[in-house]
Amino acid sequence: MGGDMQVDKIAKLTKIVTIGLKTGRVTIKYPFGAPLVTESFRGAISIDNTKCWGCGACVLICPPNALSMKFEKDNIIIEYFKGRCIFCGMCADVCPANAISVTKEFELASTDLEDLKEYVIHRTSKCSICGKPIGPTSELRSVIKSQPVSEEYINLCSDCRKKLFAKAISIRFGAST
Amino acid sequence: MSLSSNLKAIENKIKDLGGFIETVSDNTVIVEITKDNLKEFAKWLYENNAFLKTCAGVDEREINSRFTLYHIFGLDEMGVDVVVKVSGSDKDYTPTISDIVPPAEWCELEARDMVGIRISGHEDKPKFILPQDWPENVYPLRKDFSYDYRPQSEFSKFDEELPKEVGLPIGPYHPILHEPEYFELYVEGEKVVDVFYRGFHVHRGIEKLAESPRFTYKTIPFLAERICGICGFVHSSCYVLTVEKAAKIEVPERAQFIRSIVLEIERIHSHLLWLGIAAHILGYDAGFMQLWRIREPVMVLAELLTGSRKTYGINIVGGVRRDIDESKKRKALEILRNVRDEFKKVVDVLVSVPEIVKRASGTGVLPKEDARKLSVVGPVARGSGLERDVRKNYPYFAYRYTSFKVPVYSEGDNLARTLVRIDEVFESISIVEQLLDALPKGPIAVESYEIPPFRKAVGAVEAPRGEDLHFIITGLGRPYRWRVRAPTYQNLPALKVMLRGAPLADAFLTIASIDPCFSCTDRAIVIHDIKSDSKKFVNLFYGRRYASR
Repeated sequence: MGGDMQVDKIAKLTKIVTIGLKTGRVTIKYPFGAPLVTESFRGAISIDNTKCWGCGACVLICPPNALSMKFEKDNIIIEYFKGRCIFCGMCADVCPANAISVTKEFELASTDLEDLKEYVIHRTSKCSICGKPIGPTSELRSVIKSQPVSEEYINLCSDCRKKLFAKAISIRFGAST
Repeated sequence: MSLSSNLKAIENKIKDLGGFIETVSDNTVIVEITKDNLKEFAKWLYENNAFLKTCAGVDEREINSRFTLYHIFGLDEMGVDVVVKVSGSDKDYTPTISDIVPPAEWCELEARDMVGIRISGHEDKPKFILPQDWPENVYPLRKDFSYDYRPQSEFSKFDEELPKEVGLPIGPYHPILHEPEYFELYVEGEKVVDVFYRGFHVHRGIEKLAESPRFTYKTIPFLAERICGICGFVHSSCYVLTVEKAAKIEVPERAQFIRSIVLEIERIHSHLLWLGIAAHILGYDAGFMQLWRIREPVMVLAELLTGSRKTYGINIVGGVRRDIDESKKRKALEILRNVRDEFKKVVDVLVSVPEIVKRASGTGVLPKEDARKLSVVGPVARGSGLERDVRKNYPYFAYRYTSFKVPVYSEGDNLARTLVRIDEVFESISIVEQLLDALPKGPIAVESYEIPPFRKAVGAVEAPRGEDLHFIITGLGRPYRWRVRAPTYQNLPALKVMLRGAPLADAFLTIASIDPCFSCTDRAIVIHDIKSDSKKFVNLFYGRRYASR
């Protein structure tokens, strides 16, 4: 009787062998096998240069600061650094121009840091009166598109715009120019 | 007197002691009390079945020019949190309650180190959270301390730390759990007589960072998710839950369901991971391989539903960012059915392997009285006969629409904790199936919300390791104070009881049996000293190094 129980116990332990044999090999011959990721996987983002306005909404929302904005003399540069990216896709959610799309790209290893960086460069528009930089040209263009009456003031910086507006009002009330 | 009837008892008691009630909502009572009566009130609460969840020191000088210490108690039977507030200037001494409520010691020392609240009873204890070379009178969680400031270290202080005797070191990097920790075991022959633990090597100042202009309410969930690598979703859920509670945001039901589903999937993968590790520690690598094979489809399922294997990134204040459609639902149900079948087969073998059963039964015993005294949480509590589960006691998200059992074992040994986790895997699979079947229609996030400043809220979520607790005082654009207490923070002190008098060979499994998540705990830094003398107990939490001073 006791012997039988002993046999049962040992028989139970060996079941792991059956499970293992039945399952077979589960490791995949990476990178030659089927794709590793499912359809909803979020990988690195890609920014469409032609659609981007350079508004900077993505830079503001980005939790790890993977997106940053640099102001140079004539340009505004948006830098995307994949090394910091957490692949959350918040930037794609907030982008007003739908310029950012989330790709399935995840094999990003590289020996060169520059490979992990992407740039979107925008020309800066300058105030037509005082010459102060006022923002990316493409953003101003998209504002004109959505607000047709805005082109009169669009080339001015906020200070010059205020001055001009105040002047227009005061003339209306009889002040001398 | 019993508190289980109503809140009247608390009101009466607080009036007797000269305190007053600040706010009462459905499940949180905030009371203020003077320093002299704090001890008596804490004692009364603790004797009336309240558990201590944690305490939080806050620099409230910008609100009312005071420093405040919040002790957060939980009345599990009623599902009510009692927040006890004591405030004063930085010169005043607040009495410690750790002699009556032992789990308060860690968080009191944390408040002392990080905010500079003076606590009588802890004056001559060495730095607990901050490193030993941290300069005096520099408190990182004060509002006038900039988040990117790095003070000069005082190297001379290191010498003071050197111990007179050296025990058997395990660490500073755990060989199996792959996390930073440092245990020193003091042995007499084969028997462990004393344990010294020092953690908080990887303190990342997450709380401070979240209060800095660098972050906003919208981006903190992604930061919270990075507190823990295994149960990150728990932290982001707990953060959004607390903010939503404070701001009274009504979250759509569908979002609540999705959050619960993902939380349970996280629990399944975490428990499978732990069971595999436990088998690996005991040298049963066949079991380890099989369990991790079963875990893989669960990870794929998480990716299918959220877009990422880990750090899912779908939680935002007011809802979630990814929906579950019909095809995903069908796939999920199919994967879960397979996982259940496979897991059943392997577990059947696992609980009959002598390597596992004989090594786990009767070792690392945590008696129920000690478990109660230390307010332990999660599978550690449930393995010691305490029926504590946030999902049942303080229902949140969609758990009130599901029926599930809370497995409780009374033995309190390593086997009991293992069995609790095995049972929970089956329960979690069943919860996910129920929720997927009942998934309501509707939006998955609110359109807009407002978060008024200086509201207080306590939120708790049942993590795979136990209760995860967040305490938030809302501010302008970001939390004024965000306190995070990971489950391991509450469970680590119990190791001292478990290891006391046990053979050295069992120590590894026992340390692993609380499913410790050191980095999670370390989010706030600690040096913890434990004294366990088999003949004389000075204080449950006193380390040999404290005693030798």
